[in-house]
Amino acid sequence: MPDIFINQEGDNSNLEESLGPRKNKKMSPSRCFWSGNNLLSSFNYCPQQIDFGNQEKDEKVILLLRKHPIVLMPRILAIVAMALAPVVLIRYPILSFLPSSFQVLSVLGWYLITTGLALEMFLTWAFNVCILTNKRVIDIDFFSLIYKEVSDADIEKIQDVTYKMGGIIRTVFNYGDIAIQTASEVSNFEFLAVPRPDEVAKILQNLRREKGQEREEGREE
Amino acid sequence: MNTIIFGISPWTIIKIFASFAFFIYIFFAIVVVRQVRLMTNTLKVGLEAPLRFLALLHLAFSIIVFLFALFV
Repeated sequence: MPDIFINQEGDNSNLEESLGPRKNKKMSPSRCFWSGNNLLSSFNYCPQQIDFGNQEKDEKVILLLRKHPIVLMPRILAIVAMALAPVVLIRYPILSFLPSSFQVLSVLGWYLITTGLALEMFLTWAFNVCILTNKRVIDIDFFSLIYKEVSDADIEKIQDVTYKMGGIIRTVFNYGDIAIQTASEVSNFEFLAVPRPDEVAKILQNLRREKGQEREEGREE
Repeated sequence: MNTIIFGISPWTIIKIFASFAFFIYIFFAIVVVRQVRLMTNTLKVGLEAPLRFLALLHLAFSIIVFLFALFV
């Protein structure tokens, strides 16, 4: 099943190569594979157009993660059902007891609420992201449109990365949860239902190894 | 349903309630516009202009529905 939300540009077979140790090389988008301009990708490797609030000048985004779109499927189906519900009124005129102006108002109100729900769902999905840069791990969360939480931790402070995948749907669509333990103030980062958790863990491992090498060689900035 | 209760038609009461509900909804639509601005300032992914337009469209739609409820 083709996954339209996963960036297909570039050669995926080169992923192993791209994830290999890059001794003495700075990561740059030009060296990254899977880079592209798919703005709605849930696994966006080396995105070109991403820019976040407190990004440093020499900080490069390596990976942008969103929840796998399959987790939105129940809500998408509910919204499609809500959008189609007024069509049922043509066959079963259950609002016929209302004056015609109130019937129109009911349908307009229904579509207004449907639009609001769809917009809220999309915004929550598109802006709840996890970002891996060459320096930090950043978790941006927006809860129910009124609460925002941004946490970050330096790559060097990552102590442990655990990922888990389980169940039929997660295995079929290749997504799972990643837990990152750090020595910073925010001790735990949880990226839930992200695509390709094994590859994310590998990228993190390589970033940590690269930082470790830089530290050993005294190249730390 | 066309019976008059205390000199007021039930449709008038329904209209008042509906107008109030859609008036409250306008605040939700304003929150969405503000939130889109906050989100796009926090994270720029290249979708800023279409999202702001959609949020404003949603706000305009909510105002239209409120006015419709008011003058129905």
